[in-house]
Amino acid sequence: MGTYLLRRLLRTVLVMLGISLVVFVFVRSIPGDPATVMLGERGTPEAAARLREQLGLNKPWFFNPQSPLDAQYPKYVNALLHGDLGSGLKSNIPVRDELQARFPATAELSLAALAFALLIGLPAGVVAALRRNSFWDNVATTISLVGVSMPVFWLGLLLSYFFAVKLGWLPPSARTGNENTLRGITGLYLLDSVLRGDGRSFWDVLRHLILPAVALGTIPLAIIARITRSSLLDVLGQDYVRTAKAKGLAPNRVTLKHALRNALLPVVTVIGLQAGALLGGAVLTETIFSWPGIGSWVYDAISQRDYPVIQGGVIFAALVVSVVNLLVDLSYAALDPRIQYR
Amino acid sequence: MKKLLLTALLATLPAASAAGTLVFGANGDPVSLESGNITDGISILVQRQIYDTLVDFKDGTTDLKPGLATSWKANADNTAWTFTLRRGVKFTDGTAMDADAIVFNLSRWWDKAHPYGFRDQGRTFEIVGDLLGGYKGDASAVIKNIVKVNDYTVRVDLNKPSSVLPNVLAAGYFGIASPTAIKKDGAKYGTPASVPVGTGPFVFESWKTGDRVTLKANAAYWGTKARVDTVVIRAIKDASQRLNELKAGTIDFANDFTPDALKSIQADKNLVAVKRPSFNVGFVSMNNRNQYLKNDKVRQAISMAINKKAIVDAFWNGLGTSNASFLPPVMAWANSSKVPADYAYDPAAAKKMLADAGYANGFSIDLWYMPVSRPYFPTPKPIAEAIAADLSAVGIKVNLKTEDWAKYLDDRNKEPGFDMYMIGWTGDYGDPDNFYGAYYGANASDDINWAPANLVTLLEQGRAATSQADKAKVYSQIHEITYNAAYRVPVVHSSPLAAARTYVKGWVPSPLGSESFNTITLLGKK
Repeated sequence: MGTYLLRRLLRTVLVMLGISLVVFVFVRSIPGDPATVMLGERGTPEAAARLREQLGLNKPWFFNPQSPLDAQYPKYVNALLHGDLGSGLKSNIPVRDELQARFPATAELSLAALAFALLIGLPAGVVAALRRNSFWDNVATTISLVGVSMPVFWLGLLLSYFFAVKLGWLPPSARTGNENTLRGITGLYLLDSVLRGDGRSFWDVLRHLILPAVALGTIPLAIIARITRSSLLDVLGQDYVRTAKAKGLAPNRVTLKHALRNALLPVVTVIGLQAGALLGGAVLTETIFSWPGIGSWVYDAISQRDYPVIQGGVIFAALVVSVVNLLVDLSYAALDPRIQYR
Repeated sequence: MKKLLLTALLATLPAASAAGTLVFGANGDPVSLESGNITDGISILVQRQIYDTLVDFKDGTTDLKPGLATSWKANADNTAWTFTLRRGVKFTDGTAMDADAIVFNLSRWWDKAHPYGFRDQGRTFEIVGDLLGGYKGDASAVIKNIVKVNDYTVRVDLNKPSSVLPNVLAAGYFGIASPTAIKKDGAKYGTPASVPVGTGPFVFESWKTGDRVTLKANAAYWGTKARVDTVVIRAIKDASQRLNELKAGTIDFANDFTPDALKSIQADKNLVAVKRPSFNVGFVSMNNRNQYLKNDKVRQAISMAINKKAIVDAFWNGLGTSNASFLPPVMAWANSSKVPADYAYDPAAAKKMLADAGYANGFSIDLWYMPVSRPYFPTPKPIAEAIAADLSAVGIKVNLKTEDWAKYLDDRNKEPGFDMYMIGWTGDYGDPDNFYGAYYGANASDDINWAPANLVTLLEQGRAATSQADKAKVYSQIHEITYNAAYRVPVVHSSPLAAARTYVKGWVPSPLGSESFNTITLLGKK
């Protein structure tokens, strides 16, 4: 187990370096650069060239014959190894500070979305499997089909218009109300308001979290429901379930204790995969709901061609996905003792 | 006990402060709160609340009024400007706003070697290059020297005559910041980790990036003191969501709606639509490198074939006007009387002209439209489609094209450039030079391959002219030349759409896109 972990961590570091190279080349291969965007309508080739020089973008990417270390990538990796992700080209805000400030927002939203997806998706899948071809099965399958095919930005705007503007039940967007003065501790506001014993903030934060979490969680919910259903159906048809039933165990006990536990394995895999999808979906959800997370931040950076921000954001997102996948792999062993890591 | 409980309960209520918080919906986050280093509208808007400029604009106009300088005066040939400063004004950190502070700010922007310029961070203050020709020591720079005459007088010596220096320094870029604060925060100044300090009507409180900037009223403000305690400027990027927030009452007023939101705003009895005075131009540029567009007759035919009035009526919902000038209507004094009020719309004549040019059977051409919404072209694609339909009616087949904004901006300046493309401009200050100079001046973009020397000379004369009458003479010549050449056909001068809850009173939108919020009151906000 120890060596396995070490090997995985080492591999993660290598993957991160690989990703840093890929994203470095990719962002610079997109036509149009930060200088052009910064100058906007004002831009002339001369002004852009001047700005490029000031930003150090005129230096060679990989190798500078005059001074080998004075090229963009070696400098970047060198800084990266020192934990320095650079600063936004125009704003001068250190990428690391911004990640620290924004990741909790994304994490809180993703966790809430995942919780929503699991709380509804899992039971829906179980019910659908146990009552196959019943009314409830049809409802669950239809909903999950609609959920998968619904564009997040459309669903988001629809939810916001209906629940905020028409009914006035929930706020349309943002993480907190205009007069909420909650001071962060962990950056997860729901948790922070509990830690500070601030009931009003808790309620305020929760109300703001509902719509974006539902918008972001709908697709994972649909997928989880479908996987749970098919996986449970699969397991229910296996010999050991029949044996358990034949032994005279209570049907509920058979389903929940024996079948469901085994059926969860593919579900956990899907949750792991969804971690990446959640980060992707966060881009749209955060933009629609004015959510100050890393999704909307990287999205803006791409249209601005803010290289350090895009690089830092992508590398960080990759790191998060790697860690989640590692946790998923480890949880297999907990769920199924036959799986062992060496 | 009961009484105590009641008191405690009352204390937790927001003591009438709800009416004192003004919430603005901006279409994004500021880039930086560092003056002179920003060009985007939101940064300027936030900065206007915190900083004052040396010279200011009268509410709702582009006419100058005193700011931190109470008066300004040029020498006889417009080569030196002397600014007399307001006395007794303090930065909100308690330090004095005096000649030293002004010299510090101006020098920092203009002198690349200034120790507090922080150019090692990639900071450029590129606006100085754009609006003032260049930096200290550059041959093209407008400013030669910045001199402290006495504690309340600053003189700016120029390399070449300029009558517009006060107008330029009134633009939202040039907010005057506390030198002490800049020295204290160093390269961090202007980021969320710093405390920007000015002399403005509001004091910086906090900035959560991607979310909101919070400001408090400056109780010691020298000018009109704010009528609200707090201003919250929220970043709401999505325009539909901005409207949702406004309708739900979670924000009080907002900017940057597309004209198609007008109906929805007017239909809501809690909202009022607010038109910003027009100060922009959206136009179609034609490239001389294209074999057809090289021909004067073809360009004139195209300008005649586009039914601009119908297009503006269809896509701007009454929030735009069309004329035959590059300048927005407020600067009509600089237009030539020899140029008609608008391009004649005459498809038959256009067809004949094309036939005269040898293209009786027409030809095919690319028209590029912008992938982004701008005040001058809020919905570029359908507008481009309408232009294409007009042109096809006279036999010109149009291929509509677009690409990512960054690439679009890049490619238009790269040979061979675009055949025809849509672009526009929003002014920074109320002088014709700000419009013509950007597209026809010596440093203008090379997108149409047409830059006659006499135009550049005229633009220099315009900058040197001392009276409005002299200016009008020069710019009407420029108007005639550019109108007859028909390389850039103005389509619209739009009034950007904003909206507010009905209880927001005293908001006077500036044509320049941002204004100070100190005049706004909230009456009966729940």
